[in-house]
Amino acid sequence: MIKKFIHQFASPKTYLFQVDRAYPYIFYISLFIYLGALFWGLFLTSEDFVQGNSYRIIYLHVPASFISQSLYLGMAFASAIFLIWKVKLSAYLVRSIAPIGAVTTFIALVSGAIWGIPTWGTWWAWDARIISTLILFIMYLGLISLHDSFTDNEKADKFLAILVIVGSVNIPIIKMSVEWWSTLHQTASITVTEKPAIDPSMLYPLFGSIIGFTGIVICLVILSSKVQILKREKNKSWVKDYV
Amino acid sequence: MKLLKFELLKLRKKSRGWLGPILVFVLIMTAFPLTVEILNKDMGQSFFSVLWIAILLVMMLATEDIFLEDFNDGTLEQMAIKHSSLSSVIAMKIFIYWLLIGLPISLIGALYGLGITNSSDMAIKLIPVLMITTYIFLNVFSFGNALSLTKGSILGILITMPLVLPLMVVLGKVVIAINFGMNFLGFLFLLLGILSIIIIVLPMIISFVIKAHLE
Repeated sequence: MIKKFIHQFASPKTYLFQVDRAYPYIFYISLFIYLGALFWGLFLTSEDFVQGNSYRIIYLHVPASFISQSLYLGMAFASAIFLIWKVKLSAYLVRSIAPIGAVTTFIALVSGAIWGIPTWGTWWAWDARIISTLILFIMYLGLISLHDSFTDNEKADKFLAILVIVGSVNIPIIKMSVEWWSTLHQTASITVTEKPAIDPSMLYPLFGSIIGFTGIVICLVILSSKVQILKREKNKSWVKDYV
Repeated sequence: MKLLKFELLKLRKKSRGWLGPILVFVLIMTAFPLTVEILNKDMGQSFFSVLWIAILLVMMLATEDIFLEDFNDGTLEQMAIKHSSLSSVIAMKIFIYWLLIGLPISLIGALYGLGITNSSDMAIKLIPVLMITTYIFLNVFSFGNALSLTKGSILGILITMPLVLPLMVVLGKVVIAINFGMNFLGFLFLLLGILSIIIIVLPMIISFVIKAHLE
C-alpha cells in the first residue's frame, strides 16, 4: 500500500493536486505558529542579561540558518532518489529548492551580520562558521547557474543531482565548523542529545519559530515546485486543463 | 600502459597545455614579491596564502580543456566504447596531468618556499604537501570541467571552487604546524586520506558525467 502511495505521489500530476489541497492548511498554520512565536519571543520574554534586547533576532537567525542547511540535505536526498529510481518529480524538487535555499542562506547571513554589530562589535568576521555559510550561499547560486546553462533539461537535472550529492560533503563541515575550529561564533545552543544551554522562556518561542519558519519555507518550496512542474510539463494535456 | 603513453605523448606535444600553467605559476609567484617591500619581514607569512591561491588558480587553468578537445574530436566517445571502464581512463588522464603539471609545480613551489623562508626543513616538508594538494585540486577541477564540458570553464570553477575551499583551511593549518614543529605528519595523513578517497570516487563520478554528455 505504501509502495502504491509513493508511486502515485511521485507523479507530478498527483503531487500537484495533493499539494494544492494541503497548501492553505500548511501556510496558515505555520504562519500562525511563527507569528505566535515571534509575539511570545519579542514581547513576553525578558531581556537577556548580557545582550539586552538585541538577542531577539535569534527568532529569525536560528530558523533561517537551520533551514538553509536542512534544505541542502533535502536536495541531496531528492537527488539520490532521482539518480537511483529516476523519479522525475524529485529532479523538479531539487531545482525548485535551490533558489529558496539561496534566499534562506542570505537571510541567515544578513541577520547574523545585524546581530553581530551589538554583540561582537563587528558585522563580519573571517570566522569558520560565517565563511562556510557564505560558501553554502555561493554553492546554491552555482547550482542554479549550472542548471540554467543547459537547454536540455534532462541532462541538466542529472548534472545538478550529481553536483548536489558531491557538494553535500560541505554540509558536515559547516555544521561542525564551530566545534572543530575555535571561532567567534558560538557553538550550537540546542542539540538533540544534550540539555539545551538556553533558558526555557527563550527556548519555547525559539522552537515555535523554527517550526513556523520551516512550515513557511515548505510553502515556498511548494509554490516554486509548482512553477517547475507547470513549466516542464507544459505539453501535457492535464496541464492545459489545470491552467 | 599503452594508453598511459598515448596520453603522455598527447599532453607533451601540446606545450601550451603543460608548460603554460607552470609558467603562469612562476609568474604569479614572481609578481608577489614585487608588491611588498623588499625587506619586509612579514613576507614569509603572506607567502603561503599567495602560494595556495596560486596553486588553486593554476590547477583551474590547467584542467580547463582536459576533456574538451577529446570530446570535440570524438576521442572520448571512442574510449567510452572501447574500454570497459571509462573511469580508469580518466584516472590515468588526471595522473598524466599531475605528472606533467602538478609535480613540477610542487617542486618549484617548494623552491620558492626555500627562497623566502630560508628554511630547508620547511621546503622539504612542503614538497609532499604540495604534491598531494595539486593532485586533489586536479581531480576536483576535472570534475567541474566535466560538468560544464561545453559551457566554458567559468561555470566549472564556480561550481567546484566551493568544494575545495574547506581544504584551504587545512592547508593554512599545515603551515602553522610546520612553523611551530607541531603535528605535521597528522595533517599529511589527513591530506593523504582525502586524496585516497577522491582519487577513486571522482573518476567514477566524472565517467558518469561524461557518459551523460555523450548520450
